Amino acid sequence: MPVEAVRDETIGVPDGEQARQTMTTTTTRTPLLAMRQICKRFNAVEALVDVDFEVYAHEVVALVGDNGAGKSTLAKVISGVLQPDSGLIEMEGETVAIPSPSAAHDLGVATVFQDLALCDNLDVTANLFLGREMTGRALLADAQMEDAAKKILRDLSSRIPSVRTQLRDLSAGQRQSVAIARTLIGSPRIVVLDEPTASLSVAQTAEVLTHIQGLRDLGLGVVLISHNMNDVRAVSDRIEVLRHGRNNGSFDASSASYEAILAAITGATHQGYRSVPRFA
Amino acid sequence: MSGSQTSLREANRASIIDAVKRHGGLTQVELAGATGLSAATVSTIIKELLGAGVVDTRTTIRSGRRAQLVTLARRTGLAVGIHVGHRSMRVALAGFAHEIVADQVLPLPSEHRADTSLDRAALLIVELLDRVGSSIDEVVGIGIGLPAPVDAATGAVSVRGILRGWDDVPVAQVMSKRLARPVFVDNDANLGALAESTAGASREYRDSVYVRASVGTGAGIVVNGQVFRGFAGTAGEIGHVQVDPQGDICRCGSRGCLDTVVGARAIVEPLRGTHGSLTLRDVVQRALDGDPGCARVIADAGATIGTVVAGLATAVNPQCVVVGGDLAETGEILIGPMRDAIHRRVLLNQIAPLEVVPAELGQSAEVQGALSMVLQATEFDVRLDEPDDDPHDEPPVEATHAG
Repeated sequence: MPVEAVRDETIGVPDGEQARQTMTTTTTRTPLLAMRQICKRFNAVEALVDVDFEVYAHEVVALVGDNGAGKSTLAKVISGVLQPDSGLIEMEGETVAIPSPSAAHDLGVATVFQDLALCDNLDVTANLFLGREMTGRALLADAQMEDAAKKILRDLSSRIPSVRTQLRDLSAGQRQSVAIARTLIGSPRIVVLDEPTASLSVAQTAEVLTHIQGLRDLGLGVVLISHNMNDVRAVSDRIEVLRHGRNNGSFDASSASYEAILAAITGATHQGYRSVPRFA
Repeated sequence: MSGSQTSLREANRASIIDAVKRHGGLTQVELAGATGLSAATVSTIIKELLGAGVVDTRTTIRSGRRAQLVTLARRTGLAVGIHVGHRSMRVALAGFAHEIVADQVLPLPSEHRADTSLDRAALLIVELLDRVGSSIDEVVGIGIGLPAPVDAATGAVSVRGILRGWDDVPVAQVMSKRLARPVFVDNDANLGALAESTAGASREYRDSVYVRASVGTGAGIVVNGQVFRGFAGTAGEIGHVQVDPQGDICRCGSRGCLDTVVGARAIVEPLRGTHGSLTLRDVVQRALDGDPGCARVIADAGATIGTVVAGLATAVNPQCVVVGGDLAETGEILIGPMRDAIHRRVLLNQIAPLEVVPAELGQSAEVQGALSMVLQATEFDVRLDEPDDDPHDEPPVEATHAG
């Protein structure tokens, strides 16, 4: 396979142009991902009840809620780890099923879970391409992978000095940025980040938040799950609140106050879905 | 007689160190130009300072010739610069040569609060120091730029309501209590003006105005090489000049301020119907990519800001207007209409036509200004041990004063 083609496909600054056109031409654009009336039960526990959720291109949507509100369950449904009991999932207007994580990957959904799933004994490049190694003449195309890794890290303006560093030598923040960079391999359209800033220092948080803005600028849809209201309000465009597995409010991140969001999370306010724009 | 000779030399040393501090690094020829001293005097003094370890020299190239670049020796410490914006905070560390050794941007929520943000700034400083292998002991001072007028005496925002969540917070005191270092606070446009007038687009000029067009609009005024702040620090707050008597109420409490017409909300709102929900950064990026709607909004903002800057320019008569901030990243899309508006209204004298140019330091102007503020405020002991000097050359009074 010609190297150039491989590189383009792999790094694939994913249809930023297309996303841009969608944005400029119309306000009634189709969401990248739309989930309608999703239900999921674990025996007696109702994890998700009639949840609606949408992600558009070039948008960071934060998913917030108390412990056990169903944030991670919803993320697992998006990434194919769990199957919903009922409900509809659409990608760019077409109904799809996401029966497995690899199916999610093929649909362009990349997920970073809390445990990151990286290999300590491999270097940065090997981790980025883990399971998706480039090959040339039956051998691994190390040079190409290294070049691609450098480019991806540069695109994210990451501070990792060398792509040959072993993962065990990196700080928690640097490992998180490797995990985020890893999602960019294989042209994703949607990136799901589960608690990316938990247990990071301020400088590391700053880097991860800058990466998230970078993903948005590349035209991707980003789902950000976090407990930290500062981080959520800093980088997201829209904030969706879940409470006891149900939608409990949707907020415009640039204008919603900290108090209003907290009230929705704790249940001090019971908001029907999309209550905010009704005033407009 | 010989006593006055010594004090003259000391004064010369001080002015050379001052010039190096101001610019970060200068060649000996430039130093002669900046201080008005002869090349021979500069050369002698630099030799002394080099011997005393106050400055470092290294070979550089200026206009195709080899030259000696003079910088302050790094052992003298680090300065911390912080620029707090409406939606992000930038923290940078620099040595006395003004070279930035560490730099980090942290996105912030809208209407962030002073307690949380200052907390995080302090932690960020300590982490960045750690990154460059230094510690808080090496820090000579911390400069903070805020997007609101600042009272120089208390380091607090001097007009209520402009920066919500920061009212009545003695920023300098909070920060110095936490890190036990001197803290200097100023308005971000003033710091941008300071940086651009010492190391940026207006360094050739004595009188200049720096306009910062971002989430809010502000200006920094440099008169005779010094930033002019006004009594309560509100000089140059062009964001609160009335441009529309029937306009919206501004957060400052009056009606139709420039900020309500060209601020982030006013830029984003007219595009909502056609372009969907955008951020200010998106609009700037789209304008650069050639989107006519986004470019139009920014061009109109440029023209409106220009009319207000023209008024300021009539009052101050600067040689140069430097335009910075997020919107200035669109280059001539913003600055072209602004220049036209300024030139249409300002009194154009024949001596020196008013220039309107983009900022050279870009997004880092404010943080560089914060660093310069710290470095300029830091005292240096310019007296050197001179064994050949007669001890009773100097009157004791002067010695204690200088020490």
